[in-house]
Amino acid sequence: MQKKENRRYCIGFAGLALALCVLLVGNLNAGSVNLSVGEICRILFEKTGENAAIVWDIRLPRIVAVVLLGGALSVSGFLLQTFFANPIAGPFILGISSGAKLIVSLTLIGFLGRGMSIGSVALIIAAFLGSMMSMGFVLLISNRIKRMSMLIISGVMIGYICSAVTDFVVTFAEDSNIVNLHNWSLGSFSGMTWDNVGVMSTVVIAALALAFLLSKPISAYQLGEVYAQNMGVNIRMFRAALILLSSVLSACVTAFAGPISFVGVAVPHLIRSIFKTAKPIIMTPACFLGGSVFCLFCDLIARTVFSPTELSISSVTAVFGAPVVIIIMVRRQKHNQ
Amino acid sequence: MRKRICILAVSVLVVLMASLLLSGCSHTVGTASARKQAASTGPDWGTLTVEKELPLQYATQFTVTEYEDGYALIDITDSGRYLVVPEGMAVPSGLDKDIVVLYQPLDRIYLAATSAMDLFRAIGGVGSILLSGEDADGWYIDEAKQALEDGSMLFAGKYSAPDYELIYSEGCNLAIESTMIYHTPEVKEQLEKLGVPVLVECSSYEGDPLGRMEWLKLYGVLLGKEELAEELFDQEVAAVNDILGQTGTGKTVAFFYITTTGTVNVRKSSDYVTKMIEMAGGEYVFSNLEDDGNALSTVNMSMEAFYDGAKNADVLIYNSAIDGELHTVDELLAKSPLLADFKAVKSGDVWCTGKNLFQEPMGLGKLIADMHTILTEDEPDSGELNYLHRLTNGGT
Amino acid sequence: MDDYYVYTDRMTVGYDGVPLIENIQIGVRRGEILTLIGPNGSGKSTILKSIIRQLRLLAGTVVLDGRPMAELTERDVAQKMSILMTERMKPELMSCWDVVATGRYPYTGRLGLLTQADRDKVDEALGMVHAVELADHSFSHISDGQRQRLLLARAICQEPEVVVLDEPTSFLDIRHKLELLSILKTMVREKRVAVIMSLHELDLAQKVSDRIVCVNRRSVERCGTPEDIFQDEYIRGLYGIERGSYDTAFGCLEMEPVQGPPKVFVIGGGGSGIPLYRLLQRRGIPFAAGILQENDVDYPVARALAAEVISEKPFEAVGEEAVRSALQTLDRCERTVCCTTSFGEMNRANMVLREHARDCSLLIGIGELEQFVYKGADEHGTTAYIAGDTHGFCC
Repeated sequence: MQKKENRRYCIGFAGLALALCVLLVGNLNAGSVNLSVGEICRILFEKTGENAAIVWDIRLPRIVAVVLLGGALSVSGFLLQTFFANPIAGPFILGISSGAKLIVSLTLIGFLGRGMSIGSVALIIAAFLGSMMSMGFVLLISNRIKRMSMLIISGVMIGYICSAVTDFVVTFAEDSNIVNLHNWSLGSFSGMTWDNVGVMSTVVIAALALAFLLSKPISAYQLGEVYAQNMGVNIRMFRAALILLSSVLSACVTAFAGPISFVGVAVPHLIRSIFKTAKPIIMTPACFLGGSVFCLFCDLIARTVFSPTELSISSVTAVFGAPVVIIIMVRRQKHNQ
Repeated sequence: MRKRICILAVSVLVVLMASLLLSGCSHTVGTASARKQAASTGPDWGTLTVEKELPLQYATQFTVTEYEDGYALIDITDSGRYLVVPEGMAVPSGLDKDIVVLYQPLDRIYLAATSAMDLFRAIGGVGSILLSGEDADGWYIDEAKQALEDGSMLFAGKYSAPDYELIYSEGCNLAIESTMIYHTPEVKEQLEKLGVPVLVECSSYEGDPLGRMEWLKLYGVLLGKEELAEELFDQEVAAVNDILGQTGTGKTVAFFYITTTGTVNVRKSSDYVTKMIEMAGGEYVFSNLEDDGNALSTVNMSMEAFYDGAKNADVLIYNSAIDGELHTVDELLAKSPLLADFKAVKSGDVWCTGKNLFQEPMGLGKLIADMHTILTEDEPDSGELNYLHRLTNGGT
Repeated sequence: MDDYYVYTDRMTVGYDGVPLIENIQIGVRRGEILTLIGPNGSGKSTILKSIIRQLRLLAGTVVLDGRPMAELTERDVAQKMSILMTERMKPELMSCWDVVATGRYPYTGRLGLLTQADRDKVDEALGMVHAVELADHSFSHISDGQRQRLLLARAICQEPEVVVLDEPTSFLDIRHKLELLSILKTMVREKRVAVIMSLHELDLAQKVSDRIVCVNRRSVERCGTPEDIFQDEYIRGLYGIERGSYDTAFGCLEMEPVQGPPKVFVIGGGGSGIPLYRLLQRRGIPFAAGILQENDVDYPVARALAAEVISEKPFEAVGEEAVRSALQTLDRCERTVCCTTSFGEMNRANMVLREHARDCSLLIGIGELEQFVYKGADEHGTTAYIAGDTHGFCC
């Protein structure tokens, strides 16, 4: 049995890695400007030439960002689904995106309403601050409650409060500001730079490493809090660590690309059905790879199908993600019966 | 054992990615700047003499200082400074860091500020625009529509998500954006990173409608057609001056539209449309909607307040820019039945703007003339009017 | 207190700062089973949860292996104490082997990877609970009995020195109850593990425990060996039994006796009367039983269920007085049934009773009894006769 499991894991990882490579190549080759494969290879190694900027400054940073953020979303979703033992938990269930949206709208309206201009860094920091604010509330509440289902409710409530305040603020803003807020809420990978990638890679890779090191307490937690505690897990610290890690991952995505829906909910289910296990030591890296592959695929579609108009990445992820999740759920039901 | 191998493979993959990241992080593409022309070996900036300041009658948001040898410095208030360098000339040395250099001929422009297209059209500069922020269906201006359809102009995505690859590969040498770009600062930064200078046109901040039109002269400077621009502008002003000279009609006018939430969006008292009404001889109904500090030109008021203020207005003009054109009074009443009580509705003096109005700033003079016409003539001929049409009574 | 492996020192337990039970002093040695008994809601689970540190102690300490638990790290405690609580686990996609393997966590490294030695221990634990064939099944698809055994295996492979269980047998059928407890007993004997558990089944508690602790809502009432604790009256008081009874000698429950003057006289003895006593009690017919020696097997049940029992001292032949009293009672009853077929020296008197009944036309067989039972106390129309040997009841 163990051999069969191991073989399954190997095949799974190999498959994901292969898909990643294929999509990397595919994304590198896709764009409004037609570059041959040879040209791209040359540019990759030499960094000079007419179209080097297209590959190095436009396509590559975007691809790397998609890989990092897609993986981050998916791992965050997995952590939260395990923590709450709830299959529809996602990276934004704790109100992260609502908090970010609130602070971003305040920033946009505050500065632009007065005719002052802001840099993109300001918006990124605003989104991050908003996410951390929501996370802070949730952490405060988590210390006082006994049942985890209460935490989901409080996260959802915080989301509602933030949305309400955002709507209140937006009432006094001009229509043009609102349009942009709506665009921001849809999420987009457009306009990633190497500076962005630098920051997000530090954050995401650090958070991932920590999440991987938490594999043992997470798998203990899968048996329930009582047994986890008996096996030596410090429940208090574990809760805080998990909320923190998943929030940081979600916040990073929200800050740089806006709230992208569905990846965090759908990909862990896909991965679970491929690997047939919920062990975090397998799931964490597998979800990361899976999320990257999924997002690379969706981003490719979003930016090439109706070029030069870009589709919103959230709608593409939902269109592909939703049916797959439904199919998996239905099959699992059948199997259970 | 197998599991260990898997973990090893994954970590190798991670390391690969990391190395890719690191190699890219420290990389700044210098190729874009290689496309630019030769380095600055020109005259010393400090010693250049000023020939003249471009004469501006109404515009307040920009100034142009012309120097010897054809250099021109454009200063857009709170937005940026641009030095136009004539073709073949070298860039002066010792320039201040914030001045962006624009090399003539500026013939590969990405225009994401829709209101500027009409101005370019007026001075025959549509050919200089290579990339557009609107697709063919989005333009009311025939030259632009035509150019997009026959391929001499390309659609490069809207201002908030432009197709960077296309813009870069077509060798775009100037991007003209509207103030909306401030909402998506990363786009401006990315364009600049790719070596495309960005000019943010702030004509929407002009309080005087003729000031908006006067930006024609700025584009004239960019394209080297200053005299043509001045000539055209003077013509339009002359046409308006006749109307300005006449005494006011004393009629009150309201200019508004009804939002989806049921509130009424009206212009502020210092807005340029308000000014146009006054220039045309009318009186704007709301005389005390002052600038409350934010840069908006309109205000949303409740239906009650609008009823109170505009019930007895002589003329109602409906702004079709957001909602679409109305053609009958019934359509107007469908938006709010309360309007049936209004004096202007009862007397049939309800007008609507054409959808193309806000894409054609060159036509502002004509709009003033239209307003004057409807205020002075009882039954104006619809052929005379350019931008306004009366809402008809009776069934659809 | 020295040789106790785990003991509580003036421990107070409760929820949300409100004390439920105060000043608890209980302890267990290695190789011993300590069972908590008590009515529902008495606080047994609270005490157990406090011992395993799921609930915060309101006062006092728990000492584990000579050191207060508060001083030990989570890992230390995990290596010494394992649990089996009532919480239902719902692990996703885990096989039974995986669930049992989680017991090895306190011994594995940073990432929780299992060595071959760990795997062997898991297999060994599975062997001990006779669940080897379940190893590859999904944990969510097994029955309650199998689940409890697997959780016990999990507790075993954690290599504890003390195991804490909260009502481990509650949902199990009789076979699995016995199985679980015998596995526990094996662990205790072979590995000298200390066991603290709570049980609802008094009979099992009595039979399997080395020491018993009685908990009621206010305090820990008594602590001692089963022989000390299990007395009929005490148990009655502890649980507040009002209807029915519990016999501590045999560990059996009986329903409450039907009230009223006896209508049927059952001549029994040697185990033959018991089924009939129960039948009559089920049908709600008060009956009298006799004549039974007090060491007769029928006697405890008769005492619990009959309206009247005529008895004789143990090991003694039935005397005159007893016969007289029995005859009187028999005459007052509407019918008589004779269940026993063996008559020896000691119960020759029962033959007399039987003849007397026959002469008075009161004797009936079991077939008649059924009719009688359904018709109720109906004097008319039932002729006395001796039916054939049906169900071995008749004579």
